[in-house]
Amino acid sequence: MMERWLVITRIALRNLRRQLRRSSLTASAMVLGIGFLMFVRALEGGAHLMYVDTATRMGTGHIAMEHPDYMGSQDLIDRIAATDLATGLQAVEEVTRPEEVVAVFPQVNLGGLAQSASSSIPVRIAGVDPALERDVSFFADKVVEGRYLEPGDRLEAIVGVEVAERLRLELGSRLVLMAAGAGGELESQLVLVTGLFRTGVPEVDRGVVQIPISTAREWLELGDDATSMSVILASDDRTGQIATSIRERLREGGVDTDRIAVRPWWEAMPELYAGLRADAVQTYVMLVILLGIVALAVVNSILMAVLNRTREFGVMRALGLNRRSVGAMVMVEGVILTLASGLAGMLLGLAVSLGIFRDGVDISWLFGGDLAFAGAIVEPVISPAVLTVDVVAILSIVMAIGILATLYPAWHATRIEPAEAMKTDE
Amino acid sequence: MTSKSNCSASNPAVETHELWKTFGEGETAVHAVQNISVTIGTGEFVALCGPSGSGKTTLVNLIGGLTDPTRGQVLVDGRDVGAMSERQRAQLRLDRIGFVFQAYNLLPVLTALENAEFPLMLRGVHRDERREEVSRLFEHIGLGGLEDRRPGALSGGQQQRVAVARAVLGAPALVLADEPTANLDTQASDALLEVMEVLNRERGVTFIFCTHDPRVMRRARRIIRLVDGHVERDAEKESGDLPSWVLEPVET
Repeated sequence: MMERWLVITRIALRNLRRQLRRSSLTASAMVLGIGFLMFVRALEGGAHLMYVDTATRMGTGHIAMEHPDYMGSQDLIDRIAATDLATGLQAVEEVTRPEEVVAVFPQVNLGGLAQSASSSIPVRIAGVDPALERDVSFFADKVVEGRYLEPGDRLEAIVGVEVAERLRLELGSRLVLMAAGAGGELESQLVLVTGLFRTGVPEVDRGVVQIPISTAREWLELGDDATSMSVILASDDRTGQIATSIRERLREGGVDTDRIAVRPWWEAMPELYAGLRADAVQTYVMLVILLGIVALAVVNSILMAVLNRTREFGVMRALGLNRRSVGAMVMVEGVILTLASGLAGMLLGLAVSLGIFRDGVDISWLFGGDLAFAGAIVEPVISPAVLTVDVVAILSIVMAIGILATLYPAWHATRIEPAEAMKTDE
Repeated sequence: MTSKSNCSASNPAVETHELWKTFGEGETAVHAVQNISVTIGTGEFVALCGPSGSGKTTLVNLIGGLTDPTRGQVLVDGRDVGAMSERQRAQLRLDRIGFVFQAYNLLPVLTALENAEFPLMLRGVHRDERREEVSRLFEHIGLGGLEDRRPGALSGGQQQRVAVARAVLGAPALVLADEPTANLDTQASDALLEVMEVLNRERGVTFIFCTHDPRVMRRARRIIRLVDGHVERDAEKESGDLPSWVLEPVET
């Protein structure tokens, strides 16, 4: 049996070498197709990692803990009590290793009105911890005028550039924020514009005002309560797992899901998740069409090789090689060709992704002035990221092409009748 | 027509019963083999002669299970070839039958040695054993030193000898040879025929040749003459002389 496989493999390999030009052309299609797939996936993987990273750092964190009704009501009644925040923090510490967590911080987020001497507009008011925010979010880097909030600030605020334009604000301008406080009464707070930021995300630049969380708590009479607590992780790999563990630990600590909802970012930011999914589906559709064409080239090449060797297959059948072995010989030939060229394509994709474009690809021209994707900031340069899941998926695709594209030619070879085949001309 | 060999009819290697092979249908139908019933005993050395188109190759293909009869039955070693599955037929050919085809039909990607040992490889014969057997035979039939050449680098005669070596190596029970000496000079033909005679004599291998070559027919101990798909004459012969009817022109 072993001898039979050896001779089948030997003949398959020599036939590939014998048809060097045809094999090379088919292999080139595979190398380029798979190389392109690898590069596109690496670029997309890198982009998605970036979207998730910036969105989680500027928004809800990888995991958001908030009152279950807050997402819908945006009302301070639906906030997390200070004691529950402490339980939540303890839960995070218990279910994670220290190196897994970048930061855990409470936020006060609510809708309100911003009024200047000239106008008033609706805004999102974010009460943040200036020291933590500077480390984990990108707002400090996006300040285009003035400065970011600092520990010790009390009445300072930073606003989006378009907020400033609409309210005709300058650095040092006074701004009155109005919102419903913990007691349900309308409360107002005077702040001074100390910085302007431009993130590139229109809804942020047009409608966000950041103030120190201590000021927000004092103004809205929240004590140590908060509307949410964000967990920023070092990697997105275990987000779902950690969210589940936190949920379980909170339940054990007596904090039920009617008091704190623990949401991974894809639940907390459904629009971003939907955008990423749509992006991935679009890429897959394009790549499936491309690889379908490549697979047809492989089918054509192997089928031609079989048709040209009808006489040889007839001889082998006459000498005692059964149909199954003849089919196996064609399969081995096709799978070796696709596997070898597929692996070469993967190496090419890796070389392009991590070699030529290791410093990233500038995509700012794609987005014009607005560097945003589904509410997430897009950095102008994307660094390709080769994910294990993509390597495994592409390897599976290569194997699938090899097997599927060779099935028909192999079946055709098994149908060859020895006596008839030996009448054909080479 | 029914014809039987006297020598080993009790232990036949091949039997055909009312065998027909028709190509095409209706008015264009060609009866390549018509109602042939022959019995060839184990250890016979038989020549099938007759003009081109008389059905020799078709009969050999039917005996080897390479094509299905339109009617009738073929038995090899007493087993009905028509009743076998494709897999069983392939195994029968591999284990029991050696073929020499009209064209050399060597596999171009294999060397002369690999072509010759191909059936032995499929049978799982150990490499050292195969190589020893091939080398010995190659030396004997003038192919020594050509083991590593591909068919494209061999002359027609050399390719024919490799094809014969492939058929007889491992001493199959039955060798079906279609014009095995067609491209060979006298010396090479004699060397090959000697090898076959030794195998026939010493190991009881049954040989059935399709041939026009008087040298082959002289060595045969039985000659069957086919004309238009029928057995016209079937006779055993004693001496090395050829019966006059062997080379008679076909009456029209």
